[in-house]
Formats: sequence, C-alpha cells, structure tokens
Amino acid sequence: MAFFFAFPFVYTAGNYDYIMHICIVGFFYAILASSWSMLAGYAGQFSFGHMAFMGLGAYTAALFCHYFFISPEPTGICTEFALGSNYLIIKNPIGVTSTTLTQDCLAQAMEKWDGAVTVSRMPVWLGVILGTLVGGIFGLLIGLLVLRLRAAYLALFTLGFSEILRATISAEIQITRGQAGIELPSLFENGITIAGHYFGKTDKIPPYFVMFFLLLGCLAILYWLSRSRFGLFVRALREDQDAAAALGVNTTRYKILVFVITSMMAASAGAVQAHYVTIITPNNLMILQMSLVVAMAVIAGVENFVAAAIGAILIEFTLEMLRTSFNIGGVEIDMTLWRLVFFGMVLMLTLRFARNGLLVPVIDYFSRGHVAAETVVRRKQSESSDGVSTAPGGQGGSA
Amino acid sequence: MIELEVARLNKRFGGNHVLKDVSFEINGAEMIGLIGPNGAGKTTLTNVLDGAVKPNSGTVYLNGKRIDQLPPFEIAKTGLGRTFQVTRSFRRMTVLENLYVPALALGKSHTGNEVKEQALEVLEFLTMEHLRNEYARALSGGQQKLLELGRLLMLDPDIIILDEPFAGVHPKLMEVIYDYIRRVNSRGKAMIIISHQMDSIFALCERLLVLNYGDLIADDTPEAVKNDPVVIEAYLGTTEDRSGSGQGDETGQSQ
Repeated sequence: MAFFFAFPFVYTAGNYDYIMHICIVGFFYAILASSWSMLAGYAGQFSFGHMAFMGLGAYTAALFCHYFFISPEPTGICTEFALGSNYLIIKNPIGVTSTTLTQDCLAQAMEKWDGAVTVSRMPVWLGVILGTLVGGIFGLLIGLLVLRLRAAYLALFTLGFSEILRATISAEIQITRGQAGIELPSLFENGITIAGHYFGKTDKIPPYFVMFFLLLGCLAILYWLSRSRFGLFVRALREDQDAAAALGVNTTRYKILVFVITSMMAASAGAVQAHYVTIITPNNLMILQMSLVVAMAVIAGVENFVAAAIGAILIEFTLEMLRTSFNIGGVEIDMTLWRLVFFGMVLMLTLRFARNGLLVPVIDYFSRGHVAAETVVRRKQSESSDGVSTAPGGQGGSA
Repeated sequence: MIELEVARLNKRFGGNHVLKDVSFEINGAEMIGLIGPNGAGKTTLTNVLDGAVKPNSGTVYLNGKRIDQLPPFEIAKTGLGRTFQVTRSFRRMTVLENLYVPALALGKSHTGNEVKEQALEVLEFLTMEHLRNEYARALSGGQQKLLELGRLLMLDPDIIILDEPFAGVHPKLMEVIYDYIRRVNSRGKAMIIISHQMDSIFALCERLLVLNYGDLIADDTPEAVKNDPVVIEAYLGTTEDRSGSGQGDETGQSQ
C-alpha cells in the first residue's frame, strides 16, 4: 500500500504517464476482480454480469453528464425544471447526427444566447454517486431474479443480462449514441490544486489517487464484510444454501445483499473509469472484458479478495509489459497478439494445477501453516490427559 | 413445555401423494423414532417440518406459533433443527466457523468470546476439540456427522430431527452419537430420529411413528409397534423375515 502511495512521487522515468495509466487501469480491474471475488469466491454466485454493472455505472454517469445541465436562464425549447434560482435543463436525445444534421436544444439555445449565458455541467461526483446507486438498484433486481438459480444457470442468466444490456445500449443510438459511445468530461475537467500544486485535466496524479482511494475504500468494505457475520453467512451460502437456511441463516437476504454491494462497487469503478478515459462505448461491456476480470480473480485466487486485487494489478502490468515484441532466429514474435495466448495458458494451467489460484496458497501458507501442527499437538494433549484416544471417527471415508 | 402439533399434512409431487393427512403431536422432551420403508415420506415430512418444502394442505404449530408457511431460517430460529440424510457440512470452512454459523444466525455477537467458548464446549463434548481449526473437508465422514450434530447444539432448538444419524457409522462413533442423543434429550429437547436401524431405534425411543407410502400407520410405544400386524406387514416383516434379512446388523440397512 505504501508502495502505491509513494509511487507517483518517486517514479520519474520517461514513460511516467504510461506507467501511471497502467496503474490506474490496474486499480480499476482490482476493484472489479476483488468485488467479483466476494460475489463468486465467497458467496459462490458465479455471475458473468459484473462487467454489465460496471457498464451501468459508467453509462449512468455518462448519460447524466451528457443530458443534464444547470442554466441560470430557461432555454424555452428543452425540457426544464426550476431549481431555486437556476434551471435544470434536460437535453433532447439526437443520436450521433448532432453535428451535421440536427442540433440539440441546448446547442440551439446557446447559439441564441451567443455567450451571454453560462451553462454548467452537472458535478462529476454526483454522476459517480448516481451510477453507483443505479448499479445497486440493478444488483437488487438481478439478485431477486436469480434467487432460485444456482451454478451454471446463474452464470447463463447473468451472461444473458450482460448481453441484453450491451445490445440495448448499442441499439438505442438515439439516446446512447450506440457504438460511437458517449464522451464524458474528465474527473477534474478544470484541473485541481492540491497542496498548492496545480494539476491539469490530463495530469495522471489526481485520477491515480481517486481510483486508488476508491480501491482502498472497496477493499476496506470487503475486509469488514468478510470479517463480520456477513462473510461467514455468504460462505455458508456458497457451501450449502439449504443447510445454511436450516441453521437459521436468512439466505435470501444475504444472497441479495452480496449482489447489491458488489454491483455498487463495480458500478462506482465503471463511473470513475469512464470519467478518467472520458469515453464509454458498449465494447467495454463485452464478454471478453468480463472474462478478463474472471481470469484475473481465478489466476490470483478467487476465494480471497486481497489476492484477487493484487492479482488484477500484477496481471494488468504483465499484460502491458508483454506487448514488447521480439525476434527468435529471425522470426518476429508479435506479442501484441501472443500475450493473450500466454495469458490463456496461465489461466488453463492455474485451473488444472492450482485451482485455488496462485496467490491464495501463498497467503494460506503464512496464515494457516500452523494448523496441522496445532491439530496434532492438541490431539496428543487430549490423548495423554485421557489416557486413551477418545477421538471418534478416525477411520471412515476421508473427505 | 415443547409442543409440536402437526395436523392433516398433505404433500404431493405431481401425481405422487407423498404425505397423506399426516397428524401427530409432540408434548415435552419426547424421544421419537420415525420409521418406514424407503419412499414412505420420512424425509419429505422432515422437509415440510423444517420449511424446505411447503405442504399442499395441513398445519404445523410449534409452541403455539404456526410455522408451516415460514421460510426454513425462521423455523430454525423458532426452535426446530435438523440434520440431513447425506452430511452437509460447510466443507471449505473451518470446524469452528461451521459452529459459529447457527450461533451468529441467532443474533449472538461475533466479537465477544461467548460464541467461541460455547463452540469449544460443543467440540469438547463431541471429542473434536483438536480439530477446531481444520477445514471441514479434512474431516472423516464420521467426524463430519458429529460436526453436523455440533451445529445443532449451537442452534439449540427445542425439537431436533436427526435424519439417518447411524448410517455408515462404526460402533465407537455410534456410542458417541447415542450419548449425544441421550444428553441432548436430558436437557429437555424433543428428538425425532429417522433410521432403518431398528436396534438403535428400539434402544433409544419411547415412541414410534411409522409411515408407509404417505400414511401414518402407527403412533405408539416400540413394544406395541413391534407387534402391530399392519407395521409388520408394511415394514418390519415377520420374525423369520427379520432374522433372515439381517435386522439388527449395525452396519446394514434393514430395508
């Protein structure tokens, strides 16, 4: 953590912006992978809809910035509501033809005002909060719909939801601008001054820390959840839903809650990322992107959200570093293509030989290494105090 | 005083009428055996009582509260706990965590030591204290059965239904389970034991319910049931049949 705090200030190489960009994208994937690890690894809800929730957050923020404005004067042609001394302007949807054929109502009004009236955008943070809330609402709906679905059926359902959402966004060109995507303002469109230092809108340090703190916030919430009864109950839910219910666990509540919480995390990451890269397109919701998040979590260890987060950052870096092509005996190896093959191989080998991921066994080695020795010592203690072994069930089919 | 009142319970799966007007009552800390041939409806009755399956008609009252339409978790909290025919421990959770689940579901604090101390007491009772930090998947089949019984102690329900507690269990572990049943019963808990092992049922229970293809054909003392011609015809068979079919064999199934 200290490393990432200090990194932007101590790293000075020529590719500073590029490396910072990889860090920010790494944090973005870390939020997605760690929240997905809570959903799939802890709660056993193997959802393929996580990227769709990310997209919902991003598109909510984008549409909010794209259509809602504050103006001191009414336009007379847009949909508008009085908001104290100002007006809330809602632009009319005009699809992708705005610059050539028709203009939106606000553009027409501004032309008429000829610079006399200053119209302001909605604050970015409000769009991010709205995006997060919309992610949560859809998480609730999906959570309710999949209550009775398990395993492959849940995966197929969420895959369907994800594709429907992507297809809807692509099809609703009038509102979402379809494949052209929606442009968003930067996180700090007018720059920001921190501790007397001014950062412009393209500076990497402000978005770096926004995404980093968002990641830390998500990890803190996930840590708190995993240590509370919530963590215990969702793991019981993963192991055996019926047995958990028979022991008094309200499985319905926890299944829905885990969908809502992790969807909100994905949506918030999506909204911030969209403002950082300043454009969102339906391609960001593609199943390939979801597969990347799944692969990151699985390679690192899906049953530990910290491992998933670290794994996501490491894999994002590895994938970028692997872009460098090289020559073997005069044969050019184009790593921009082969890196994904390499990545796929790592995924396959992990699934075959280390199903708990590559990082989780390391964490377990340090956190649970003493357990076997402790068990033996305790058994010997109880044997010596009783004179004879009282441990039942020593034989029988081991699990 | 524990009171369970089951009245005219019916359950159909498609054309299969699995429970037909089943009615019985439990008053106090009774030790009841539930027996019947395979397909008699024993597990379905358990599932209906614990809320996993909703009945088509009929009512179930536990301590004056109607529970037949409640979800399983609320029935568990109301005071009815059960084990499963096939052991269902939380395999990728530690033994202690398995025990914490019902305690925390009851609303006990997870930060204090109370739950941990209670769990350690339960493990000592089950002679499994040394396994407390192992994952449940590392336990033997018998130990997993004990763990399931331990979880019920943490839930502390008034009525406990044990579905086949003796199946596939070796004699030494059988003694631990016998001891468990007697001690839990002596704490004022009613027990319903489903088993095909007649020796165990006759040794432990003071009352038997006999189901046969959805009908409750007997509800009486073990002695009376043993000599009931209807039960003999439907389930127990004649003395000659029993000696021939290995009834009383602790590892075998009588049906």
